[in-house]
Amino acid sequence: MKLSLFGVGDAGTRLVDKLLRAEVETGRNFTDGNVLAFNTAAEAFGETDALPEERQILIGDTHSAVNQYVEPADDSPDTDTASATDRDRSPGVAGDPELGAEVADDELPEIRRALDLVDDTEVDAAMIVAGLGGGTGCGVGSVLLAELKSIYEIPVYVLGALPAADESDERAHTAARAIRTCVPLADAVLPVDNEAWARSTQPLTEQYDEINEMVATRMLSLFAAGESEPATVSEMRIDPADVMRTLAVGGLSSVGHATIEVDTSDEGLFARLMQLLGLAEETPDTQTDAATIKRLVRSALNSKLTLPCDIESTDRVLVILSGPPSAISRKGFETGRYLLEEETGTVEVLAGDEPLPNAGEITATVLFSNVTDVSRVDKLQKRAVAYQRGQNDETAVVDTATSTDGATTISADERATDDDSDQPFEFHEPEAQHENGDTSGDTANTADNNVAGEPMATDDSAAETPADADTDLEGDDANTAAATSSDEHE
Amino acid sequence: MKLATIGVGNAGSKVIDRMVEFEQATGRDLCRHTLVINTARTDLAKPEHVPEDRRLLIGETHKKAKGHGVGGDAAIGAEVAQTEIDDIRRIFDDVEIHEVDAILVAAGLGGGTGSGAAPVVIEELQKMYDEPVYGLGMLPGEYEGGRPALNAARSLQSFVNKVDNFVAFDNDAWRSRGQTIEEGYEEMNRELATRIVTLLAAGEVDESEVGENAMDSSDIMRTMEVGGVSSIGYASTGVDTPDDGLLSRFSEEEVSNMESTDAAKIKGLVRRAVNSRLTVPCGVASAERALIIFAGPPGEISRKGVESARDWLEQETETVDVLAGDDPRTDSDTLAAVVLLSNVTDTPRINEIQDQAVDAQDTIQQQEAVREEEIESLITDDDNDLDPIV
Repeated sequence: MKLSLFGVGDAGTRLVDKLLRAEVETGRNFTDGNVLAFNTAAEAFGETDALPEERQILIGDTHSAVNQYVEPADDSPDTDTASATDRDRSPGVAGDPELGAEVADDELPEIRRALDLVDDTEVDAAMIVAGLGGGTGCGVGSVLLAELKSIYEIPVYVLGALPAADESDERAHTAARAIRTCVPLADAVLPVDNEAWARSTQPLTEQYDEINEMVATRMLSLFAAGESEPATVSEMRIDPADVMRTLAVGGLSSVGHATIEVDTSDEGLFARLMQLLGLAEETPDTQTDAATIKRLVRSALNSKLTLPCDIESTDRVLVILSGPPSAISRKGFETGRYLLEEETGTVEVLAGDEPLPNAGEITATVLFSNVTDVSRVDKLQKRAVAYQRGQNDETAVVDTATSTDGATTISADERATDDDSDQPFEFHEPEAQHENGDTSGDTANTADNNVAGEPMATDDSAAETPADADTDLEGDDANTAAATSSDEHE
Repeated sequence: MKLATIGVGNAGSKVIDRMVEFEQATGRDLCRHTLVINTARTDLAKPEHVPEDRRLLIGETHKKAKGHGVGGDAAIGAEVAQTEIDDIRRIFDDVEIHEVDAILVAAGLGGGTGSGAAPVVIEELQKMYDEPVYGLGMLPGEYEGGRPALNAARSLQSFVNKVDNFVAFDNDAWRSRGQTIEEGYEEMNRELATRIVTLLAAGEVDESEVGENAMDSSDIMRTMEVGGVSSIGYASTGVDTPDDGLLSRFSEEEVSNMESTDAAKIKGLVRRAVNSRLTVPCGVASAERALIIFAGPPGEISRKGVESARDWLEQETETVDVLAGDDPRTDSDTLAAVVLLSNVTDTPRINEIQDQAVDAQDTIQQQEAVREEEIESLITDDDNDLDPIV
């Protein structure tokens, strides 16, 4: 299918660039140049290879709170090299999603002008690509998502990186809120769990490239299947409608992937001939063997997923076999498909192939759509809540001490001050808060603090309304949005 | 018989394509009009024997289909066909309906387009024409899964209610090892095309070689008029024509039948047709009417054999309504017996599909019931402390 890509923030820009490079390398022309990248700092734009310069849109550079470059004064264990956009020192919106959203709101005319460069009638779906823990990725990404949903008829997906455990609590908090924001708005969200894919021995920044490569391989196998030229006719070719229907249920999705080599060379033919003549000892191990294909699907099913999850909680499944159609057993294809139905417990399993006559390998790509049992997200939320409570307690203390109530124009300066003073708390607070929450979860104070804390950061947001009303409203909106989207795309 | 044929969806289109291929290869002239309808542009490019202007893409403007298929969703398949019913009706303007005896609509019942759009097309055809409309439907195999089974079980009801007769083909009965996805369902489609064309093309060569036992189109239509689900059996054997001696030497069937007397050979052929793989496995005794056609060189068809074969089938089907006749093919190098078992009610495979469909429907409904709630609970923390950004 054809996708338009919208990279947001540093991570999003880098990943879009990687996707574009993979597009060229694999010859699967799935964007037709319909790409854009938005950032609040020009930094990541300098690192791109395949992303054309005129498609890189810098926003917020005139905003008073943006680009307030803060020197890394005190180093906390959190602010290691991993957090490239750590709020204290990174350029742009300094990791603040509220500021990111504000900047994007202010610059909507600029964003809309840039969107004219992308032809939504030429693509089947749009995809926002962002690091969900970043201020720009989450903040600008959320506003862009709402904007695309309001102007596009096509589905809008989000491909978002979740921060690893050694990234800051603030990023975890931002990412948890990003999920809360994006899922009701987007047609589907495909998170990439950096924690699962990062190797602890290396700084995360050095692994971005590797992780992005992994993500690009999976995304192209899934979304760009069948876009290579010249297109080969296949009996069971995957259609864009198959992918879209699988994702139409919304929620979070995860992707598995596995590959085996095939013998399409003369050597293979010779081996087969030898077997036919009874000259070869080994059992007929041709790749057309149904068991081989079933094994491949099983490997994909058991592979490390983009978002580790319980696959039994999935709603719909799609499997794509990419490879030479003459080497893929149809029985294997069917039993592999059936295996997925058995293992996931859903009957909505679509299967198709991407004929690549000259490929030397067969790849199975499995999409698990709307997985709801994701411990990684639960952990992220716990960490985020603990952080937020720590922040709110801190704010409350500051409030009573300095009486800075009604501070409607808190700027980055003040926030930075807050942040600095918060840093020491981040390390013991979560534990304490967690305990606190467990023992006295019904304490009204905690809840009030949280609600009171929110407007401070989101001065112009609707968070001033009572928590309950706000929550109900959000819930209703979410339901409506999700219901509408599933109506539209089912 | 002279037919207008319509393939709906990928599987249906492929079968129509193979039917045309088979009739051309065997000098038959059954399909006077061919038309394929699909929601996926790529699939519409596949038929080799259907002219470009007889391929109709529907759903191009549908916001979910857009010419890219319906993602296996029968509801969208039906919706798209309904929306573009005018376009579908318009393409029949070219069909001179008085030139055909019947209309055949072929579809795979597991996919979204075939199962959803074909019943809509059939309903429209029934409104437009007095001629009988027959259905030819491919039933999904068990391994194709719950969703195709549900599509098929639902579509089967529409099909059987709307068509004058529904010929079923069971993918599972014809599944075999060793096929690659490149070959796909080619082999099955060829087998099915051979059967349906051999059956329905009988009686279309009116002017030549009309024996007193020649099968007439009206005989076939009479057998089919009872409605319901039908199954076709088929067996063939090589015949020794001087030219083809070398070729037919390779036919195993022929070797085993060489010693038989002509009559026994004919009867044996019919037994084999019924006992070998029927298009859909069924209890033969549950058939309401039956018909046997012998297609091949008239000299090979022993009258005595035809009679004893008919008697045998009468016993097997426990009905006196068994017709038997010839479809003389002077130049043919094979003798084929094709048996139509009309309105068979004992079809275990259809029961299995229905059971699988009921389970699938339950699963789908359960998922739908909790879907929004589960997503909501996943994306919100336990106390709902985290607020969305926008």
